[in-house]
Amino acid sequence: MNNTKPPSNLFITIIWLALVALTVMTFSLGEAGMSGKGVMLTLLAITMIKSQLVANYFMGLRKAKLLWRAIMFGYFAIVGGLIAVAYLMGLK
Amino acid sequence: MLAFGVLFVAYAFTRAKNVELFNASQLTLSRTSGAINTLVLITSSYFVVRGVAAIKHGMNKQCAHWLTGAFLLGGVFVCIKMVEFHAKFAADITMSTNNFYMFYLSLTFFHFMHVLMGMVILAVIIMKAKRGGYSAQDHVGVETGASFWHMVDFLWIILFPLVYIIR
Repeated sequence: MNNTKPPSNLFITIIWLALVALTVMTFSLGEAGMSGKGVMLTLLAITMIKSQLVANYFMGLRKAKLLWRAIMFGYFAIVGGLIAVAYLMGLK
Repeated sequence: MLAFGVLFVAYAFTRAKNVELFNASQLTLSRTSGAINTLVLITSSYFVVRGVAAIKHGMNKQCAHWLTGAFLLGGVFVCIKMVEFHAKFAADITMSTNNFYMFYLSLTFFHFMHVLMGMVILAVIIMKAKRGGYSAQDHVGVETGASFWHMVDFLWIILFPLVYIIR
């Protein structure tokens, strides 16, 4: 049953490295103790990119129907958007 | 996912009314543990992708190897999280300490339970793959389990910056 040659996965490895790099960026911003509107929006943007990389390339939704991609994007757009609104409300 | 979404938004709006309390409590969390756990889950998800790619070529043995790697990383996540929970409980921090810890403990424990469930699902798939139970044509079980694991990763990707970083 087993073939001898494993499938090539260079592209998915690059996606994984991008996710690692974005996580390090998030952590670095936290360690720097930075806060405020710009930092909050930057962190949410990084989170959106990461979530869409997982949905489209790890879950494989990029090959799925537009509806499924729209649901995953819509989930983050609504949740992330409301989080942004709440944080802006908390800024003085 | 809907339940997590509601909890994420509830956390953010509750924080808006208690910004100083949430910021002060957030500083007691270990950002390093949270970041390591993020890398652990992302890498485990990557292993799952490789496992799915292997089974699409009918490679049961390679699939089981990749998924075993993901399972072990799930164990690393659980261990790190238990150390974090232990530190909080040792400091007499509970869900009733304040609103931040109520959200922190409920969100992370709810997610923790999903990780454990994901590990059970991975273990069942690994055992079947080791018996040669999947094929290039018939591997719906692997893809379903993989989707659950990616969902667990997806939720942590939002939870980590929200609870540990953004202030």
